[in-house]
Amino acid sequence: MTVVAIDPIRKEAVAEHRPFSNDDENDTLLFEKLEEHILAHYPNPERIGCPDPATLKKFADTPRVVGLPDLNDLHIFKCAECTRTLMELRKQREQAKPL
Amino acid sequence: MPITSPSDLCWKVKFPSGQEWIESTVHAAIKRVWLRAQNTARSQFGDESLAVEMMEVAIEKLVRRMSEGSPADPAEAGHLLLRFYAQEARRRRNANRKLVLLGLSAELPSASVQNPFLPVDSALDLEVILHGTPPEVRMALLLRHSRTRWSEVAEILGTSEASIRVRCQRALKKIRQRLGIGENGT
Repeated sequence: MTVVAIDPIRKEAVAEHRPFSNDDENDTLLFEKLEEHILAHYPNPERIGCPDPATLKKFADTPRVVGLPDLNDLHIFKCAECTRTLMELRKQREQAKPL
Repeated sequence: MPITSPSDLCWKVKFPSGQEWIESTVHAAIKRVWLRAQNTARSQFGDESLAVEMMEVAIEKLVRRMSEGSPADPAEAGHLLLRFYAQEARRRRNANRKLVLLGLSAELPSASVQNPFLPVDSALDLEVILHGTPPEVRMALLLRHSRTRWSEVAEILGTSEASIRVRCQRALKKIRQRLGIGENGT
């Protein structure tokens, strides 16, 4: 039988390298919860500060060409309406994908 | 704290073209001092993750110094890197000292109060969480919020997946805390 000594520091480092053990590699659960949180807590029916719909569509389709200023910085994180629009655009994009 | 490579720590540094030796020397210097830097952050601030931010500042100073011609030796570069790191730690300690604490926590009202401004408070909280985060981190979080995978986020921002996840880690941790979900998803 071979006895292998486990370096406690290394063991700790490896354990810490899996920060969100039950979430997936894309932190999907976290972002789903965040989405729910924004929808519940950040109503913006008057669409104050929202980027225009074309910019949101561009962000969903070709994010590379959209910058933070176009999106009014972090506005989307404070706007249920923009988040909802993004969700719809995302759904459309997924439906449009070839099988 | 996840394992952090020298490349992760250098992700925002622009190495001067034609002086490729600087990058390899800086990487070697980081490897020499990284463990010590983490210990310093833990002992002085009680937060090991601060080591990343302080090290990034130190690296930028080191690269500026090296592009002026010195030092060329990894050991010497390591010493200089530690010195810049210590400077940054000192700067932060001094900044923290300027905070003035008023009253005691026992003086705060203990009863939970129905707060009519809850939505406003939520907005402020998220703004606080993300206040001061670099534009790249903000963009990465927005991209991930639009359900772009981390690998694609990294590609869009021209960096590696590991690097962008390390950059976003602190904000993600705070958001988890704010949303009341544990790291195991509960």
